[in-house]
Amino acid sequence: MKKSPFSLVLCTIIAGISLACFPLSADAGEPTDQVKETVDAVVKILSDKELKKPEKEKERRAKIRQTVDRRFDFEEMAKRSLSSHWKDQTLAEKKEFVALYADLLENRYIRGIERYENEKFVYYDERVDGEYAMVKTKIVDKKGLSTPVEYRIQKKKDRWEVYDIVIEGVSLVNNYRTQFAQIIRSSSYNDLVKRLREKVNK
Amino acid sequence: MKKFDLELVVGIFLLIGILSIGYLSVKLGNLDLTGKRGYTIHAEFEKAGGIKPGAVVEIAGVEVGSIKNIRLNNNAALIELTLDDTVKIYEDAIASIKTKGLIGEKFIQITPGGSEKLLSTGGKIRDTESAVDIEELISKFVFGKV
Repeated sequence: MKKSPFSLVLCTIIAGISLACFPLSADAGEPTDQVKETVDAVVKILSDKELKKPEKEKERRAKIRQTVDRRFDFEEMAKRSLSSHWKDQTLAEKKEFVALYADLLENRYIRGIERYENEKFVYYDERVDGEYAMVKTKIVDKKGLSTPVEYRIQKKKDRWEVYDIVIEGVSLVNNYRTQFAQIIRSSSYNDLVKRLREKVNK
Repeated sequence: MKKFDLELVVGIFLLIGILSIGYLSVKLGNLDLTGKRGYTIHAEFEKAGGIKPGAVVEIAGVEVGSIKNIRLNNNAALIELTLDDTVKIYEDAIASIKTKGLIGEKFIQITPGGSEKLLSTGGKIRDTESAVDIEELISKFVFGKV
């Protein structure tokens, strides 16, 4: 009889620990899996020693771009960034803008990704709301410093595609939306395209 | 005949009275504490960062509504916003919790979107940016240097 309270406490602790540990893996659904798949694929390219050689830089960048392209919905991102000005553009203009936008993100972010040094990716939460979802992750570097990165994704047919990234609480789309709106208001859409082109060709 | 007329007048008068009270209660029921009419939408934030009911909602620095209620939902802050009827919010709008100045009061800023779907009463702004925790950023900066 004396033993039972103790074993009860033990059981509670074990149950508590397992409950605390398992939701992490049990929570991971389709959106997390698909984001993880892409991140892992990019990490694989980055860790490839053969591709690290300077002469293979172009090939490496193209491979990363290809992998990212499959998961990121650049058209949706560009559309959201232009917000109300998107509707005013012709089909050809939209197409051109999406291409420029994707190049801009590539220039801006792939260089950052290329500095990858065995950071760890932790997927700790996922929220699904109809055809929208949010995957919360943390990038932990060697010093143990973590940066929260949140993927906002949308279901298109049977694929989950990223339409916004929130890093350290700051939304990428919102950042560009504010800047683009400012440029369009103070000058024009053509000026925005011109500026983007300059940035991309730099 | 005379008696019948009086009863009719009293009846009509009573009916008008009841209708007025009904109208008044509907009108008053729509009013929130700040005395503004409008429609209500929700926005879910990771961190409310100490924002309070009654705080201002702005678009481009112009006040368009206020916070009606804040509650915990699924470990996130669910904020109810009352917006003026004249303000149209599209589905892809982004709501951010901002601070006036460095240590000023908190408010919600909405960056309008351009999708085809309008949000109506009970709608939800899906994309949000939580309050930036300055202390957290400073500590990261400090420890990042080590």
